[in-house]
Amino acid sequence: MNIVVLVKQVPDSGAERELRSDDQTIDRSSANNVLNEMDEYAVEEALKLQEALGGEVTVLTMGPEQAGEAIRKALQMGPDKAVHVLDGALHGSCAVATSKVLAAALRTLNPDLVLAGAESTDGRVQVMPHMIAERLGIAALTGARKLTVDGGTLTVERQTEEGYEVVTAATPAIVSVWDTINEPRYPSLKGIMAAKKKPVQTLSLADLGISPDEVGFAGSTSTVVESTKRPPRQAGTKVTDSGDGGVQLVEFLATERFV
Amino acid sequence: MDFDDTPEQKALREAVAALGRRYGHEYFVAKAKSGGHQTELWAEAGKLGYLGANLPAEYGGAGGGITELAIVAEELAAAGCPLLLIVVSPAIAGTVIARHGTEQQRRHVLPGIADGSTKVAFAITEPEAGSNFHRLGTVARRDGDDWLLRGSKAFISGIDECDLVLVVARTEDAATGKLKPALFLVPTDAPGLSRTPLEMEVVAPEKQWLLYLDDVRVPATALVGGSTDAGLPALFAGLNPERITIAASAVGTGRYALERAAGYAKARAVWGRPIGTHQGVAHPLAHAQIQVELARLMVAKAAARYDAGRDLDAGTAANMAKYAAAEASALAVDTAIQAMGGNGMATEYGVATLLGVTRVTRIAPVSREMILNFVAQHVLGQDRSY
Repeated sequence: MNIVVLVKQVPDSGAERELRSDDQTIDRSSANNVLNEMDEYAVEEALKLQEALGGEVTVLTMGPEQAGEAIRKALQMGPDKAVHVLDGALHGSCAVATSKVLAAALRTLNPDLVLAGAESTDGRVQVMPHMIAERLGIAALTGARKLTVDGGTLTVERQTEEGYEVVTAATPAIVSVWDTINEPRYPSLKGIMAAKKKPVQTLSLADLGISPDEVGFAGSTSTVVESTKRPPRQAGTKVTDSGDGGVQLVEFLATERFV
Repeated sequence: MDFDDTPEQKALREAVAALGRRYGHEYFVAKAKSGGHQTELWAEAGKLGYLGANLPAEYGGAGGGITELAIVAEELAAAGCPLLLIVVSPAIAGTVIARHGTEQQRRHVLPGIADGSTKVAFAITEPEAGSNFHRLGTVARRDGDDWLLRGSKAFISGIDECDLVLVVARTEDAATGKLKPALFLVPTDAPGLSRTPLEMEVVAPEKQWLLYLDDVRVPATALVGGSTDAGLPALFAGLNPERITIAASAVGTGRYALERAAGYAKARAVWGRPIGTHQGVAHPLAHAQIQVELARLMVAKAAARYDAGRDLDAGTAANMAKYAAAEASALAVDTAIQAMGGNGMATEYGVATLLGVTRVTRIAPVSREMILNFVAQHVLGQDRSY
């Protein structure tokens, strides 16, 4: 089975994240940039399928030069090779423009299965699998907590707020996964050493036959006009117990409509 | 001079740290107090290739250096779950066999050491001779094609969890009649090999043992390197990796203790201010942090020299690193406890449990006094004191 995993470099969600003041894009220079956490689950799922069914696992990303670090991180877990779509004109691309680029790159790879994390910790829009599926004319099985492959049929348990739905589709298809689907492996030392020798193909917009004005700020359907920092946290309410602490607690909860 | 890890070393550090955090200090203490071993952590670290970091790729290792193995030792200790047998199995025994073993010994032992499925203990210290191999009383005698080993050993770490033990004995040189060291790979269940536990005041999952060799019969293939001439260089080959990895582990333990204490000092407020805002608390922690970081630099230097094939230069640096790391980690644990007051001694705060381990590191595998002798003699050019 030929599997492509979409990965993305994001600013560490554990730290303060900021937008650049000049163009309102993510400030990568001041951030600790990491592989999007949910993508590790997608990579793990791909590797498990490869172990069971054979075939090849390719990592695909679109991003600036330093996104190569996220590619290496993913390759250390075990995938065979990677494709990096790298072009200065991509800066500022919205989700719609990004999906155009990723879909074009996927066409060159012709996968049976595309795996992705259900969301990135920066954008959190969860739309990429759907948009790519629409562009490629394949099925999107999103939000999976379990994936099984039987020949050319994919079955996922799709996680919902109430429980889960069982959905099936024929390959080729795109599946996005939550962190409930598996436990990602730690990279082995051999995997770490091998990753630097694995092939990483760089593709430009010209390679994909996409004009610069279809992507970036020019080709995006949405623009961030301005942004405001989250207000600092207000000090909480302290309840001093002088015999009526319980009553005060319940009053607080009632005022905040928790009870 | 480059003070940064390579991207691969950084990735290894992060991966080992993540693995260590999943086990943590509570796991270490629970195993130590129940008489168990860190079997699960060892197996997982072995499967991921971390334990074979320094061993040649053709024998199942990762083909890295002692720098990589030191990173593994340091990061597991920094997560609160040091693995003492890293110092013994891959560092000492793995290096000795890789560098001086016969081809058959390498094929037989190294893949298991590398993936953690085989653990090899090291038996040099004796009740009468300490680590002074000139006075070792364990003698190997030829009997046909076999060897018979006779003697006793003390402070043998973790042999109860090992499959093999690398025994340092002495053989009689036919030409000169002088005794010279020879190393043997002995299965821990060999007839005539027995052991009794040495009770220690140390919280550690690895136990200490007295070992008795009562005419233990081993075949000629057990002699490391296949020749009695291989003994001395083989013995020396293990010393630098041993010192570098124990020092790395001590640095990790120092980092762990200071991280706990720093977190405590920042969170614990008395009279409205965190105790860490008082210099009386903060300065000793900062001082210990500097000592740990200095020791860490010396570990990196010793490992870099060793990996560059400069054994003699590495020897001085490895001794200094071991000295500095042992002192720094003992200081870090003691300072952390003081900063945390009574809670510092409470089991649940996870620092006082390291008192024994850090105190032992100032004595073993080579005492601070022997290192001072080495530096006085070989660096400062003083006459030998013993």
